[in-house]
Amino acid sequence: MIILGIESATSQVGCAIGGHEGVLASVHSSRGRRHAENLAPQIDFVRKQARINLDEISVVAVDVGPGLYTGLRVGVATAISVAFGLGVPMIGVSSLDLLAYPVRHCTKLIVAAIDARRGEIFHANYRQVPGGVQRVSNPSVGNPEDVAAELLAHGHEALMVGDGAIRFADIFANLRGVEAAEPSMAYPSAASLVQLAHAKALREDFVKPSDLKPVYLRKPDAVEMDQQNRKHV
Amino acid sequence: MTNNLTLGIETSCDETAAAVVADDNTVLSSVVSSQVDLHARYGGVVPEVASRAHVTLVAPVVAQALVEAGVEPKDIDLVAATRGPGLVGSLLVGVSAAKALSLVWDKPFKGVNHLEAHLYSCFLEEPELELPLVVLLVSGGHTILVSMEEHLQYLILGETLDDAVGEAYDKVARYLGLGYPGGPAIDQLAVHGQNSIKFPRPMINEGYDFSFSGLKTSVINYVRQHPEARTEDIAASFQEAAVEVLATKTKRAAIQINAKGVCIGGGVAANSRLREAIFDICLEEDLHPFVPSRAYCTDNAAMVAAIGWRRFRQDGPDPLDLGADPNLRLPCLSLMP
Repeated sequence: MIILGIESATSQVGCAIGGHEGVLASVHSSRGRRHAENLAPQIDFVRKQARINLDEISVVAVDVGPGLYTGLRVGVATAISVAFGLGVPMIGVSSLDLLAYPVRHCTKLIVAAIDARRGEIFHANYRQVPGGVQRVSNPSVGNPEDVAAELLAHGHEALMVGDGAIRFADIFANLRGVEAAEPSMAYPSAASLVQLAHAKALREDFVKPSDLKPVYLRKPDAVEMDQQNRKHV
Repeated sequence: MTNNLTLGIETSCDETAAAVVADDNTVLSSVVSSQVDLHARYGGVVPEVASRAHVTLVAPVVAQALVEAGVEPKDIDLVAATRGPGLVGSLLVGVSAAKALSLVWDKPFKGVNHLEAHLYSCFLEEPELELPLVVLLVSGGHTILVSMEEHLQYLILGETLDDAVGEAYDKVARYLGLGYPGGPAIDQLAVHGQNSIKFPRPMINEGYDFSFSGLKTSVINYVRQHPEARTEDIAASFQEAAVEVLATKTKRAAIQINAKGVCIGGGVAANSRLREAIFDICLEEDLHPFVPSRAYCTDNAAMVAAIGWRRFRQDGPDPLDLGADPNLRLPCLSLMP
């Protein structure tokens, strides 16, 4: 089984190829938000480095968000098209799961946080379980202050991971028992995506390309305003 | 010899479209999934809503285009997609999809200029059109008068200095409470009205540039001052003013460049009064009129595939690191003074 993983939900874009042998090759870039320009050449580069022909790919995995809309869409549109073009199934994985997975050896509460712009973060909480992590709260979007207040109220010792934790480091810095993961783990990695997708693929936890949907967590502004206006009338 | 097949993908605004075209202009399939119902309640295209819809629609639309054309991916020789101008979030979906398909099918990729695609939509139905041509490109985002002396070589004679003509239609329609999209609404209403109000014809005798903002404002002012005026008459009079400006300048351009024919393209080219007016000027001047069927006036992927193939043949493929360009200009020789 060969899995192509595509990850572009943050200001980083990347992809990886792997399978039963683990990750065979991966690449990431994060300069200048050139997701649409970089992704297709990256896929070509990675499959050549892994010495895999594209028609050997049996599953396309993709980070479905939440994250930055434009980058996310470049990744999802590319992944859907690769899967459709090859006639293979897909696996969607949350960007927050991808952040928590590499710090699975931490026994504290794990808080994955992605910078959502406009002073907000996408976030979810995780606990260590044998072999990985388990999500213990629903992915949501909100103020970092509210997340900090929640941690304070419950007196949780926690590890914060993701570019949201770094962006709002000053808000979380004063919380007792709360620390931030190192910056090298601030973005979801395509290698983690391939590893998580491999476990799902063994369970045949697939979706059809036509059923894969990005997770935005926010409605478009115009839709939000329209619904509020209707409520007030 | 077998035909060369191009798969075209168009996602520059609010239509998700895919088509298969053989060689320069034989359309084997052309699928358009319009999002107009998604945007109608907001009175215009909402970029974020459009981009989200493109992501879920692009693969099914491509699949349908292949099925309707009766071709397999291995038969495709080129994958082309609109790379600009348009809404950047929407463009990126089509460009990403096309590059991915080009990569996995091992076929060349070509990024297409949306305006150039519209210029060539007339050749889809009338491949033997003789040059030189004057093409009037009219849509919600553009109003451009182009002279085409040779294939793939254009001269921009004039363009709008403010609102595109389609934009003026939409704004007037919104003011009259006719909803979105405004063009078809005004067109239908105008049939039942009288051209009884004398609205200005901005810049009608000056050069080839256009200005529709003043016309729009004078319609709105008129409605404010005459609330009793019949909406049908306002629609008819506004439409008459806009069309007269477009047709007059097109005619003058055709005479000046000694054109053999006149074409129109873009969403507003579906307007019934403009279509009539183009036939009229061609009859007067003994020119060959070409007015594409409505399906090829509005955004479609057949025109993208067609120009993609012509450009690929002349300039070769584009690299996979090509991105979208929301402000792409029509490639042209030089601007006329």
